[in-house]
Amino acid sequence: MSGCPGSKTIDFSEKTNQEGSETGKRPSQLRQWPIQLHLVSPMAPYFQGKDILLAADCTAFAFGEFHKDYLKGKSIAIACPKLDSDQEVYVEKIKSLIDDAKINTLSVMIMQVPCCFGLAQLAKDGAEKASRKIPVKQIVVGLEGNILSEEWI
Amino acid sequence: MQKVLNREIKELITAYPEVGRVLEEYGIGCAPCSVGSCLLKDVVGIHNLDPQKEATLMYRIEKAIYPDRKISEPVVDMTRKSEPKKITYSPPVKKLVDEHVLIKRLLALIPSIVEFTESSLKVDKNLILGCVDFIRTYADKYHHMKEEDILFKYIDEKAEIIQVMYKDHDIGRGYVRQAVEGAEKNNKTQVNDLLTQHIKKEDEILYPWIDRQLSTTQVGEMFRKCSEADASVGDELPKKYEKFIVELEEKFLQEVTK
Repeated sequence: MSGCPGSKTIDFSEKTNQEGSETGKRPSQLRQWPIQLHLVSPMAPYFQGKDILLAADCTAFAFGEFHKDYLKGKSIAIACPKLDSDQEVYVEKIKSLIDDAKINTLSVMIMQVPCCFGLAQLAKDGAEKASRKIPVKQIVVGLEGNILSEEWI
Repeated sequence: MQKVLNREIKELITAYPEVGRVLEEYGIGCAPCSVGSCLLKDVVGIHNLDPQKEATLMYRIEKAIYPDRKISEPVVDMTRKSEPKKITYSPPVKKLVDEHVLIKRLLALIPSIVEFTESSLKVDKNLILGCVDFIRTYADKYHHMKEEDILFKYIDEKAEIIQVMYKDHDIGRGYVRQAVEGAEKNNKTQVNDLLTQHIKKEDEILYPWIDRQLSTTQVGEMFRKCSEADASVGDELPKKYEKFIVELEEKFLQEVTK
């Protein structure tokens, strides 16, 4: 089947929920509002000096342990590099998070589909424009919710 | 076997040389280590072997120590992460690895420098002192201080592997002192051997092991502290020593092609 991998129809419903435990409550690790990158201000107190997770919209739905493994202890911004408009604003906000909010690290979580790598590129562009330098990590989530790679870029 | 895991590796290899040979097969070069005070359990853990390899290695070590004992087949814990295909470093650790590259470029020149010095009628004092200054200032102050004051603080400094690294640093400082005092004629090659092995241990074993233990927050903190340490000496210092190495390479390339 050809077409855009980002919007191609795939059904893996038979594979889901095969493993793992559903016992116990899973508290939300979200500690801020808003979260959408257009809505957040880099000057918000919850960003100052923090580790930031910049997550593509789909990642939290795809990766089951999103809150526990990646959101915990971090502040977050979410975006979609395929559908969101005015993405040059995103680059400026990332730059401002680094220079003004003096964030500690930036982890960019994206899906494995090619269009999602645009978010990693936006993060790189923002980091390059910033005068401060910080470690930037890229985490790639597979369509079936597995972590495909996690590396500092 | 629990007792064996808590024994020092040098002592084990001395008592059971086959253990040293088995470790060599798995790329664990403890046999020639000058200190050898790491515990067997730490030596195995630090190399991050995949579960199958680690289980087989432990089985073979146990067999080497207790050849007559009935030992059950290796049990593989498949829930542990597999060995990474290539070594990747966090940004602050990568910076330290990159600094090793400049040090290794000097080490690669040492045989030519030794040959040149021995065949010259007059000792080129500036050349020797320039190399000593590189090791003392760039390798020891600029590089080792970041390791000792920043990197090693993120792990248990009492761990044997860290003690071995501190000991290597001290031995290196001793060699450089001797070189300045002219007390030891052969110490240029000793420095070469020591630093080559030391850098290999750090690049391939120690740094990846530390990186695996660092949280994202700690990576960010360490990056900031290393950047501050670099800023405190200024941009000129690393540039000065890079220029020194480039000029040295050009000089000895000319000597070789004469």
